[in-house]
Amino acid sequence: MEKVEDKVKDTLGHIRAAAQELHGAISDATAKRGGAIKADFEVVSQKAKAVAESIVKGSMGVQDEAVKKLLAEAVTHLEATQKNAAESLKSSGQAYQKAVRQTLADGRASVQKVSEAVAAVRTAESTHTHK
Amino acid sequence: MRNYVAVVFDDASTAYKGLHALWELDGAGEVTVHGAAVVHRDEFGQFQVDTKETHPALATAVGVGVGALLGALAGPLGAAAGVAGGAGIGAATGGVVGVAADLNRADIRRQAALETRFVLRVGQSAVVADVSEDATSTIDTRMHSLGGTVYRRGKSVLEDDVWFDDGTYPYDYYYYLYPYEYIPSDYRIW
Repeated sequence: MEKVEDKVKDTLGHIRAAAQELHGAISDATAKRGGAIKADFEVVSQKAKAVAESIVKGSMGVQDEAVKKLLAEAVTHLEATQKNAAESLKSSGQAYQKAVRQTLADGRASVQKVSEAVAAVRTAESTHTHK
Repeated sequence: MRNYVAVVFDDASTAYKGLHALWELDGAGEVTVHGAAVVHRDEFGQFQVDTKETHPALATAVGVGVGALLGALAGPLGAAAGVAGGAGIGAATGGVVGVAADLNRADIRRQAALETRFVLRVGQSAVVADVSEDATSTIDTRMHSLGGTVYRRGKSVLEDDVWFDDGTYPYDYYYYLYPYEYIPSDYRIW
């Protein structure tokens, strides 16, 4: 039977890959112009929501409070990603540019937090193994 | 421990092999890579960071941010040259090539040597990364096998460079590094 720690590690790995993919999609979208960005950002908003939901679900099996906190922060950034992507769809000019930049920044921050959670789990496992 | 590392290689192709190897170590769970980018110093002494095709303003921000990070890795005076001098770093696909932190200047080079000995010479390339590692030997051994030289500074040490944080950069350094392996098609040889 799979150990709980391994399951958490696998779940975090999948979540991290999804968050990385989301950042890639945002990054690719920003290279486009006008309507094309907006079409992509509609999808980004949905993806951000899906990743946030998978983190909330995945967090349920996590015991480590520090890891839980990092995942909660990732969710906060993903909610901001969603909000800013939605904002970019209805704005123009400076407000639009700001929303696009902020969508990318929050998307990047969400990957960072998940990545830090992965590192924390790996370090805990390594410490446990070497005891 | 959380570190920023710069691995210097003699050419761009080997640097990309180094980047690939770094992400392989991450895939194996031996280190965790939070973000990485490859920087080149061209024949004119200017720095370029390879980025995806992106919004020019964002590409410029990536270039300036990575330039600041390189300066910070070189030590306080290197960072001072990178930031106070208004220097940046060009983003290759952004089409903007700024005046780089001039690590070619003798005084800066001496100071960099005092701090970390990190200097990127003309024609060299470097992998710059934000990593969590339980032991430095994992990355060192792998990069040495590829001919790379590793320089590192602790994230907390960089954060202690409070004078460096003058509000010029709105985000932490990691915003400027790719959170996944990004290798331009020209360098994909494996």
